[in-house]
Amino acid sequence: MRPLVNKMLRVASCYCLIGVFLFQFGNPSNVRAQLIASSSNSMQVNSYYPVQIYKNSIPELQSLISINKENALLKDVLKEIAKKTKLGIAYNSELQVLNEKVSVKFEKTRAADILEYVLLDTEFEAAISSTREILLIKRKTATDNKIVEIDISGVIRDAETGELLPTVSVFVKGTSIGVTSNMDGEFEITVPDDSEILVFRFVGYKELEIPITGNMTNLQIEMEPDLLIFEDVVVVGYGTQQREEVTGSVASISTEVLENIPVSSFENALQGRLAGVNVVEPTGEPGASPEITIRGGGSITASNGPLYVIDGVPLSRNSDLQVDIQSQRGSFQAPKSNAFSSLNPNDIESIDVLKDAASAAIYGSRGAGGVILVTTKKGNPDLNRVTVSMYGGASSVVNKPDMMNAEELIAYTKDARNNNYLQEIERGNQPDNPQYDPNTNAGRPDVANFLIPEQYVNWNGTDTDWLDVVLSSSAQQNYHVSASGGTDKATYFLSAGYLDQEGIIDGSSFSRYNFRANVSYDITDRIKVGSVTNAALSNHDRLPANAPYFGQPPGIIYSALVHSPVVSPYNEDGTINQLNNQSYLGGGTTTASNPLAIRDFISEEIKNNRLYGNIYGTVDINENITFKSLIGYDVDNYQSSFYRGTKFLYRNQTSPQPFAQSSGANGFNWLWENTVNFQKTYQDDHKLGFLAGYTAQKQTNEVNLVTANGFVDDQIPNVAGGIITGGGVNESEWALVSMLARLNYGYKGKYLGTFTIRSDRASRFGSDNQTGIFPSFSLGWRTTEEEFMKSLDIFNELKVRASYGVAGNFEIGNYSSISLLNSVNYPENGVLFPGSSLATLGDSELTWETSYQTNIGVDYALLSDRIYGSIDYYSTITKDLLLSVNVPPSTGFGSVLTNIGEVENKGFEFSITSRNMVGKFQWSTDFNFSTNENKVRKLGPNGDPILVSGAAGVRHITQIGSAVGSYYGYVVDRIYQNQAEIDADNNNAPGGDYDLLAADPRPGDFRFKDVNGDGVVNADDRTVLGSYQPDFIYGISNRFNYKNFDLRVFIQGVVGREVLNLTSRHLLNGEANFNAYAVLNDRWISENDPGNGKYPRADRSTGTHGNNNRVSSYQVQDGSYVSLKNVQFGYNLPVEKLNNFARKARIYVSATNLAIFTDYIGFNPEVNLQSSNSLTPGEDYGAYPLARTVQLGINLEF
Amino acid sequence: MKKLILTLFIPLLFVSCGDDFTNLGPLTERNVNNFYKNETDFQLAIRGALDGLQSRETFDVNFVLFMEMRADNGANGGGATGLAASLEQLDTFTDLPSGEEISATYNAVYNVIAGTNNIIARIDDATFDSEAVRDQIKGEAYFIRSLLYYHMAVIFGNVPLQLDEVTTPDVEVTQVDATAIYNQIAIDLEMAENLLPETGRITKWAAAALLGRVHLANGNNSDAVAPLQRVIDSMQFDLVPDYADLWGAANEGNIESIFEIEFITGNVGEGSSYTDNYTPLGFGGVGGGGAPQNVTDDIIGAYEAGDERFDATIDTTDPANPWVRKFISSPAVSSDGDNNWVELRYAEVLLNLAEALGESDAAYDLIDEVRDRAGLGGVDRTPAGGTFDEKLLQERRVEFAFENKRWADLKRFGVAKSVMSAHLGIPESQVTLLFPIPQGAIDVSPDNMTQNPEHQ
Repeated sequence: MRPLVNKMLRVASCYCLIGVFLFQFGNPSNVRAQLIASSSNSMQVNSYYPVQIYKNSIPELQSLISINKENALLKDVLKEIAKKTKLGIAYNSELQVLNEKVSVKFEKTRAADILEYVLLDTEFEAAISSTREILLIKRKTATDNKIVEIDISGVIRDAETGELLPTVSVFVKGTSIGVTSNMDGEFEITVPDDSEILVFRFVGYKELEIPITGNMTNLQIEMEPDLLIFEDVVVVGYGTQQREEVTGSVASISTEVLENIPVSSFENALQGRLAGVNVVEPTGEPGASPEITIRGGGSITASNGPLYVIDGVPLSRNSDLQVDIQSQRGSFQAPKSNAFSSLNPNDIESIDVLKDAASAAIYGSRGAGGVILVTTKKGNPDLNRVTVSMYGGASSVVNKPDMMNAEELIAYTKDARNNNYLQEIERGNQPDNPQYDPNTNAGRPDVANFLIPEQYVNWNGTDTDWLDVVLSSSAQQNYHVSASGGTDKATYFLSAGYLDQEGIIDGSSFSRYNFRANVSYDITDRIKVGSVTNAALSNHDRLPANAPYFGQPPGIIYSALVHSPVVSPYNEDGTINQLNNQSYLGGGTTTASNPLAIRDFISEEIKNNRLYGNIYGTVDINENITFKSLIGYDVDNYQSSFYRGTKFLYRNQTSPQPFAQSSGANGFNWLWENTVNFQKTYQDDHKLGFLAGYTAQKQTNEVNLVTANGFVDDQIPNVAGGIITGGGVNESEWALVSMLARLNYGYKGKYLGTFTIRSDRASRFGSDNQTGIFPSFSLGWRTTEEEFMKSLDIFNELKVRASYGVAGNFEIGNYSSISLLNSVNYPENGVLFPGSSLATLGDSELTWETSYQTNIGVDYALLSDRIYGSIDYYSTITKDLLLSVNVPPSTGFGSVLTNIGEVENKGFEFSITSRNMVGKFQWSTDFNFSTNENKVRKLGPNGDPILVSGAAGVRHITQIGSAVGSYYGYVVDRIYQNQAEIDADNNNAPGGDYDLLAADPRPGDFRFKDVNGDGVVNADDRTVLGSYQPDFIYGISNRFNYKNFDLRVFIQGVVGREVLNLTSRHLLNGEANFNAYAVLNDRWISENDPGNGKYPRADRSTGTHGNNNRVSSYQVQDGSYVSLKNVQFGYNLPVEKLNNFARKARIYVSATNLAIFTDYIGFNPEVNLQSSNSLTPGEDYGAYPLARTVQLGINLEF
Repeated sequence: MKKLILTLFIPLLFVSCGDDFTNLGPLTERNVNNFYKNETDFQLAIRGALDGLQSRETFDVNFVLFMEMRADNGANGGGATGLAASLEQLDTFTDLPSGEEISATYNAVYNVIAGTNNIIARIDDATFDSEAVRDQIKGEAYFIRSLLYYHMAVIFGNVPLQLDEVTTPDVEVTQVDATAIYNQIAIDLEMAENLLPETGRITKWAAAALLGRVHLANGNNSDAVAPLQRVIDSMQFDLVPDYADLWGAANEGNIESIFEIEFITGNVGEGSSYTDNYTPLGFGGVGGGGAPQNVTDDIIGAYEAGDERFDATIDTTDPANPWVRKFISSPAVSSDGDNNWVELRYAEVLLNLAEALGESDAAYDLIDEVRDRAGLGGVDRTPAGGTFDEKLLQERRVEFAFENKRWADLKRFGVAKSVMSAHLGIPESQVTLLFPIPQGAIDVSPDNMTQNPEHQ
């Protein structure tokens, strides 16, 4: 590289000198040609290419243009040619020849020919400058013509298959001279004699450079497919490494899998793609955030999410900038809008995931959850291009649960009421009634829980499918335009995008505009500057879809699930039925709002403007040392507005309670980072790399909120239209100062070692304990570099890796180490005065949570990279957990955040890519598989389990030996088939009563398990019932290519995950207070008709009888699934047959979430209502369903 | 080369931020480190403590459950599931140490107590413009702490007596019984009475009235006489002529009122829940409430014919669904009632003094004074009318129905077991005099905390 640069500089300065010389002496005969150029730019012109010689090698000269001029001045004709060929023009206006008259008439003729024609009778000929301008030069005489042009020709093939490769770019390095190979893979190019290197470039193949040694004809060029993964560059913290030299565990994904998938954020596209990276879509709401955990969650109180580093700048999710709906309970809050949807997936070049501490420790106190490094696209010198991609699609719900229809529900409801009434008669609580009729209310006492709702006794035939009523198909569209390219000195990548995604519930949508400018410029040979800028404006129209039917606001989905099919969604006049619906059935049924009223009369809009990027400069101090300084910034602004209108009636309320909330939030983050990088190879064998850096980062957040009520109409649907009732402001900040260093050493490319260390000082921790130190090391042995392996000839890469490292977690509140006070109010004589009460007890010793991670792995490649992949085993122990430890309540505090406890995650990861078929028909497969076992090892001072109340009481336990947030409760054993079974249990029980939680079980009720074997079922029989943590996750991607067609099929799955389906508390409880899952049609009816054995009898008062609805394994359901996640079929248009209107054009059809195969009876088997709380995972209490999307798209490259 | 490297590291020097860079304190939340310095801080702190009396876990809802619903006047509807089921358990003595209401109350009360502890610990060192204000706030802190400890003693009995400021979670917890609590707060209340002013949100008479109640609870009836007499002698209070005029937002701060916890409506989060919990659906738009309270047949039957208090207390327009009128508010908004909670009123001082004096003409006179206002004649002073205790308890029951006095009265008069056993039709052994200590409080200090024997 260096000699080449020298040479070019030499050439350039040489031409400059010539120019000066010419102007000084003005003697054209002394030089080969006179530049006919204005004096102002003559100094910059340093090389040119005569048209006659290069007409076949400069693309612009081959463009077909039409020109028709009578008696025009030559200069005007030249200008016209320049304009039509998109070339510049430069001339000395004093030249007489320019004012000569010419007549030209050409139709679609090569520009080169026209230029030659118009100058035919002059003493000048045309040339093209290196800055792409048309010049006039003195025609050379035979004697001056010392310039020697070199002709090169040949044919290009695929190195493996021998297939001829058309449309390969062939060009002289550092120039605009270039041609493209024809359909037979042939090329011909004429290059200047001082050309040194010829470059062959073709997508999917490794770039090839050959030295130019003179005329070369019949070259046989073989291009290697670019599949040699181990020669890829991997982005690691604060730099890059060759894949073959990486000794930590780093998974990478390239841009192509991210493109053309209809997601608002790249995170969704990662699902199932990388071993050990668990991506969960808890909700299908447009613009909602998926959850990513890398190698399991080690933390209990702090966040388990990875650190996101985008173009070198660690960015926060800033979820505290999104304000909760004040009327809604904390555990029913909708998931946060996705912070990283501000990044357009089409702008991403690569994503690298640092999975083990050895690679993540360079991010110190923030690396424990892994690090996701996102690199956006840069311009490529010599490859100026414009891309346009767009798609349109339609979505509909996938995996809709099966609910009862009207007839089924009526039968079930009657069954529940009858069983209740009959049991109460037997218990002597009701007199026996001879008029009893199982289908009417004749003679029944006026007790709501005995009565069959009137509309069920006399059904009018209405049979509404409420899910169909609220779910609709929706449209989406996406446009992305980018321009990129550059010169030797400067590169650019500019893009603009627009995405509009409607949700499958009318009125919910996500739209985003985003703009990007990535530029770099080499000021001198040694100093380089650059900048990355991303601006995104997104608009998120949200509906209350994720809460239960009794949330405030209630959830649309859950309200639709519970709504009885016998009621009609609309009144006769077409308005929404709010006064004769589920809430008005009577007979002890539970009330619920009409989901359409929720949808139409409640709204929430979140606007997010986010601007982030960086500006950097690098200085090559000498050939080994580079200094880099980078300033990163992130401005994140949210505006949100919630409105519950005056038309909305909550459940059976007859008057509205309008409410509005408006909030604004602003976050600002800056980073200054200075690094020095040293690279040197000693004696050819010892490769040494050293990095040292110092960084400072600070974030400031401001949030304010105003609430209002007292709206009289919906004219002004925001706080301005009502009476302001409250508000607040919260500001907070954090700061981090760090020093970091990394040493890489490689001996003969065989033995590799990396050592890193980082120290962080963070404001979030106690003043006594702010600084943490995070070391790591990793070692690698490339056995394939050893002679004995080379002789085996099986593996072309087999690297054994081992690493150990320490990383931290600082994801806690900004002021957890300080005792805080709450602001409260107290009225005196009707006037409010402010007050302060004690909020938290701080721990001035509070410090990092520390993960100790060990990783052993192998990277392998077989059969010339036909098969390659990695195998890893890891074990992570997280100590000093940031744990909210219960303290004696008599201190005045429930808990204090402190460092205590230990969690272990260990697992196995396997990935393989196999190119099953090569040649004309190509088939390749990626497969990845990973397991993770999560176990609590230590807790609290006494090891007491943590029982946590989720959205519906205490159903989760975090205890030593189990996974964090395991489900906890009673175990359903089976269903009692007859009274004899119940009596037998009672007779064996010490107190004569087997189930102390069931007052009077009857046949058809659950028999709960006596877990501890003491003969009775009581609170001591609660046990762990499963967990949200899957046993393993996997993804399989198949890619097929044939001629211009390609097909991609991506399957992704999860095995061994359980979901805590809280909807079954209502929809499977047997009480028949509202609609139910259709599986209850298979309930126990009688000993002779026991159903499928899974579902107990219907009983309106099961709570005082068999208590089937207690917290138990009945609500814990298998959430394993296989998803046909994405199928994409594409066709590359034969652009050469279409006038070469584009360099490339691909049209495709893509389907996402095509099908989900699961036993889970709800919508989404990976639902997670409270995704931010790791102690209560996996709750389904009504969530926005996932959508199946089919899209049609086109990608163009010019 | 050396020069180059030096030049290179100059920028590093600029960012070698000092310790201050990461020493960041809260910007919009007050914190203990810079609080408790001056009069304003203590005004904020005492209002914070008063606010704690308004909370759902204390006087707004849960004290109603523990002090009233537990007894025989009020009842939970029953037959309910979910949250309402736990209320039914509280009502029927089937509650468990894991119950959410008891732990919520236990935690919340101690949080307010911790606030008052901090005030008491730090107020003497703070800067005050006015010594009178310092005395007032200190007295108020003592009063609030005593009021809450009184409730803890009645409800749970054996709880830690935390009186000092807590700065670290490693606090030695010592469980003490109710007597020790009463003894302590009797001392505190005498101090409070001396510190408090004669007028204001908490007066010295409030402290004296509460002190009288505490002495009675502690069985020191003779000690109760003096403070109660001081309230009467202050001539600040009298019975409101018409019992019905005691109730409703319009009548707050009347001549009979000694201490009220203030609530205001207007959706500013300062409203009370009594209306929703005591008022049936259909009245005023809200009803049932989060903790619905039904009227028992027992209390309806307890009123003598002609007792004017009956109509002021209970609405029987629908005989199947009687409800409590004392907490009507209009307009009725869910959890946003304008009604204050009247914790101490003059009638209680009179009946407390009667109790302190024991059977005597003076005591009967005091009872008759209360009966007279109710439109009733004098109480039968002969043994034919029952024992003095029976007559006093009966009078207290109807006078203070649904005012959170009943459970403490039943316990103090030693009849809780018999009355509740008869009322619920359960054996006396099932009637527990103390609520279970919340399991969480035991789990966190297993060596120092034991469950109340009845719940072991």
